[in-house]
Amino acid sequence: MIISANWLSAYVHHGLGIDALENLLTMCGLEVDGLEQIGSDLDGVVIGQIEHTAPHPNADRLTCCTVSLGTGNPLQIVCGAPNVAKGQRVPVATVGTTLLLPDRNDPARKTPVTLKKVKLRGEFSEGMICAEDELGLSDNHDGIMVLPGDAPVGESFARWLAEQRVSVHDHAIDVAITPNRPDAISHIGVARDVAALVASPLRLPEVAVPEPGGAAADRISIDIEAPELCHRYVGMVVTGVRIGESPAWLKQRLTAVGLRPRNNVVDITNFVMHECGQPLHAFDLAMVEGRRIRVRATRTEQAFVTLDDKERRLPEGTLMICDGAREVAIAGVMGGQNSEVTDETTDVLIESAWFEPSSIRRTAKALSLQTDASYRFERGVDPTGQAWAAARAAQLMCELAGGTLVDGMVDAHPTPYEPRSVHVRGERARAIIGVDIPVERVEGLLAAIGCTPVRLEKDGFPGQDTPVWDVTLPPYRPDMEREIDVIEEIARLHGYDNIPEPERSSIPNFTPDPDLERGLKARVRSQLASRGFREIYTNSMLPVEKAQAFLDPALPAGQLGERVVETLNPITTEMAALRPSLLPGALDAIRFNRNHGRRGVRFFELGRVHVRKQSDRSVIDGFTEIETLLLAASGVWKKQGWTGSERDVDIFDIKGHVEAIFASLRLVGVRFLPADGPFPQLARMEWDNTYMGIIGCTYASDVTGQAVCFAELDWDAVSAAALSLGTVRFERISRYPRVDRDLALVVNKQVPVGTLLADIVEAGGDLLMDASVFDVFEGGQLSEKERSVAFSLTFGAHRTLRDNDVDTAVTRILEAVATKHGAQLRA
Amino acid sequence: MWSIPERLAATPPHKIMSEDLATLRQEIEDTPLGTEEAIDGFRIRFLSRKQGVITALMKRIPDIAPENRKTYGQDVNALKQRVEARLEEAQQALSSSNAPGTDQTDITLPGRVVPEGSLHPLTQTMDLIVHAFSSYGFQIAEGTEIEDDWHNFTALNFPEDHPARDMQDTFFIEEGKTLLRTHTSPVQIRVMKSQPPPVRVIVPGRVYRNEAISYKSYCLFHQVEGLYVDQGVSMADLKHILHAFARTLFGHDVRMRFRPSFFPFTEPSAEVDIWWPDPDLPGGGRWLEILGCGMVDPNVLEAVDVDPEVYTGYAFGMGVERIAMLRYGIDDIRTLYENDVRFLKQFKS
Repeated sequence: MIISANWLSAYVHHGLGIDALENLLTMCGLEVDGLEQIGSDLDGVVIGQIEHTAPHPNADRLTCCTVSLGTGNPLQIVCGAPNVAKGQRVPVATVGTTLLLPDRNDPARKTPVTLKKVKLRGEFSEGMICAEDELGLSDNHDGIMVLPGDAPVGESFARWLAEQRVSVHDHAIDVAITPNRPDAISHIGVARDVAALVASPLRLPEVAVPEPGGAAADRISIDIEAPELCHRYVGMVVTGVRIGESPAWLKQRLTAVGLRPRNNVVDITNFVMHECGQPLHAFDLAMVEGRRIRVRATRTEQAFVTLDDKERRLPEGTLMICDGAREVAIAGVMGGQNSEVTDETTDVLIESAWFEPSSIRRTAKALSLQTDASYRFERGVDPTGQAWAAARAAQLMCELAGGTLVDGMVDAHPTPYEPRSVHVRGERARAIIGVDIPVERVEGLLAAIGCTPVRLEKDGFPGQDTPVWDVTLPPYRPDMEREIDVIEEIARLHGYDNIPEPERSSIPNFTPDPDLERGLKARVRSQLASRGFREIYTNSMLPVEKAQAFLDPALPAGQLGERVVETLNPITTEMAALRPSLLPGALDAIRFNRNHGRRGVRFFELGRVHVRKQSDRSVIDGFTEIETLLLAASGVWKKQGWTGSERDVDIFDIKGHVEAIFASLRLVGVRFLPADGPFPQLARMEWDNTYMGIIGCTYASDVTGQAVCFAELDWDAVSAAALSLGTVRFERISRYPRVDRDLALVVNKQVPVGTLLADIVEAGGDLLMDASVFDVFEGGQLSEKERSVAFSLTFGAHRTLRDNDVDTAVTRILEAVATKHGAQLRA
Repeated sequence: MWSIPERLAATPPHKIMSEDLATLRQEIEDTPLGTEEAIDGFRIRFLSRKQGVITALMKRIPDIAPENRKTYGQDVNALKQRVEARLEEAQQALSSSNAPGTDQTDITLPGRVVPEGSLHPLTQTMDLIVHAFSSYGFQIAEGTEIEDDWHNFTALNFPEDHPARDMQDTFFIEEGKTLLRTHTSPVQIRVMKSQPPPVRVIVPGRVYRNEAISYKSYCLFHQVEGLYVDQGVSMADLKHILHAFARTLFGHDVRMRFRPSFFPFTEPSAEVDIWWPDPDLPGGGRWLEILGCGMVDPNVLEAVDVDPEVYTGYAFGMGVERIAMLRYGIDDIRTLYENDVRFLKQFKS
């Protein structure tokens, strides 16, 4: 919301410079988001009279004017405005004046320009006759500004403007209003806080508020048929208005807060709304059929044309203002085209009402139509302010539009406002805020914003050393209801910066549980980073089709029967689903880098993936969310260097890193089970019969045209398995030498080496300390169906091994692999 | 010379002449051992398990007549020790010739490449924040990104049909029921539901906002939330802990200010700014908002069955992206999710 600094000063003498005012507002909770200077000081602009005009000899659109400034020497000024004419009194910017001139293409952008004596198409021009926008008075650039005939020639234009109640320059203060402060969505509301903080009185305009009834009641009747949605509806009538332009000061007020002036009556309703926060509507009384206003909710869906000439579909239950025959306005949101004030209007009905906030909010949301009125109503306007606002507007219409006030008013008030009060304990305030604020100061601060604190007898509140107040709450503060709301106001007005920090604070006597899972995660992250992987963060949202493509039973989140999670209101279809795997995000990152010329990448990401399925991990019913760890690499793995040649990544590079992770988590014996799926070289990983993730390769041709080797670990399962192992138990180191044996086995190619190795380990028994594969060989004298796999075995014990101990174990191994796989020792 | 092993093998044990051993001894002493190859050949000739001369002599010991066996054994063993001693000398000589200044290695050649990885700047920033609060005795808690309306809004004192709900544009998954959490605050509710006070937790996590994507906002970001509920907790304590945190992150001279604000789940509520010096700006800098905070609203405590007359508490929350961008001088939030290696490699692990 924009606050004009000049306008604000009409209600409070604060004596602050603009920077101090900005700081004061920000520090009391009315955060200043932006500050813009409006207009320049107009030094050097004087009132002149055009004594003579002549067409420019070299340009059709220009006129050469002789302008008198009341001194001896008239100036020659070349002017391009269509409306320039002899005899006009006009604002003249003389040579040396600096004006803030708007950019023709973007009037909001203004550049300071200092005028010089120039030659325009061969004719001298010694200054400029100004349009309103060039003076910062409005956005009008239709022609030069023509002043009344009595404007004194030679006088400073700024001084003359001041006499017309127009200030030459101002500041537009953009205040961010939090939803709890409906009272501050107006100049008087902001002035109230300023007045409280600088301890200066709030000065309100004198307004004569009429008694209900009178002649007005004969002119119009008001029936509220939905009293739960409309607590009050005040109507006042002004007759004989002449619709026309508003005076300059009023236009300037509205322009300063970003409104475009329309006509005097509409401008007055806007002015009063920005003055006191009460939205008003002006009906053309002649268009109100039956001179009757009814407030009621629609019973069916229907169409309605608002005064911006748009037809809108109103849902059932929309609160409407109706006359004797039809709807004339959407209550609290926007008036109707059928009853708006036009140039022909003479009699005006002023509406000033209180509508139920949530009803207005629902309507504004349903229509996607937020107006200055709905913005205020849905936050809650002062339930006692309707008559004052209507009377203020009526008074201005009489003053500025030549109208006559019809005596009295109609005040339909089915739900009168009940004053509210709350008990506030001084001790509670101290406990929350953490500082003792003197009793008198508390009372003074509360009174300044319209509260009435009354000290209660101490006897009623045993144990309280400080006063307990009964605080009557101001009607314009619907956010104040409870004791804590009042305590907040005390803290806010006292100033958060005046709350001292304690020298020391105690902490509770308990020991936080160490977050072991997070510790593991941090360790794995830094291990991967030191092994050459770069951590990435990818978007959780992606197109539905893409998400579905990665919803594979093989992936960690994937199980049969799940569906992709979609949002009901995506920003774009590109982000309508939640990722069921981290893989698509990594593929995007790989593609991005490949497109930017990078030939090899290795990435990892830890993040949450989602599917729509009930499982034992569901926190929210129907959804499963798990954390996974993705490793993905593509392109060059080892670079060409002087010590060796380049090669691309393959699945065993990724597998090696995955095995290193498992090893660092002490998860021994993870099995890699070949699996079917959408990817080649796919395997499921299991530890102790628990699923740990998958590993595979994908050739996403649209991504890279190159293999991407990846592994996606179910991090929840992996970390749970690792943590189940508890703390390391030290194992005594054998003092006896170990015995190495190598075995080369010839075996059918169909037998997986992993299985062979697992069986060797099993058959090897307690003496077998270590077993590894050191060679795989095909061809030579072997048949096409066979290959030779060489294992290196290490035996050991806490005693000296004898040859036949080892021989027995080796024999057992050979028998086992021969029986299970037909493997023979290589000759 | 090479005929000796064969001859030895063929010679009956008792015929092995001490002259043969002397010839061998001579060979052991005379063989030049200036290169790796020569050393290897020497070792194989004498000590190889299959064809080594000494090995063969050792194997003959059982065949030697008992009366000569001891002398023979001693002689062979002496030869073996000489072989080993010469090997050791030669190795040492060779390696000392690799000492600085004496070899031909061009040490200016680059070393073998160890690939370089990195931790994402958001991880680094989040760790920094979490470690700071861990050191002040906060426990870490996490929640889910898909949440229900009750935990995300209702229990946090967001009334239905209230403009406060507009403060956080929400992605809905099921109308009015399930959504993507808009903040980490629902974890406050989950933690307080699961344990009685005192509660002192810090909650890092990913949150979502349905906002147009631009240089300053993204559809998701990360928050770190803090909550302390206990007896006698006040706003002064809140200022203390956050000032301590600001000093950890931004240095001991950090200037900060608290200004009133509004969050439905705290009252009084505040936003915290730090002074960011910038000599190019008029005034030498500007105030930058880094977090929101306040005293836990009594309605929130009541929603989790904690008596607000007995317990009070504070809560605070900050955007990790915002702090990372400040720390590293990043001016477009989207850069953080683009994963351009040229960006990532600037942040070492």
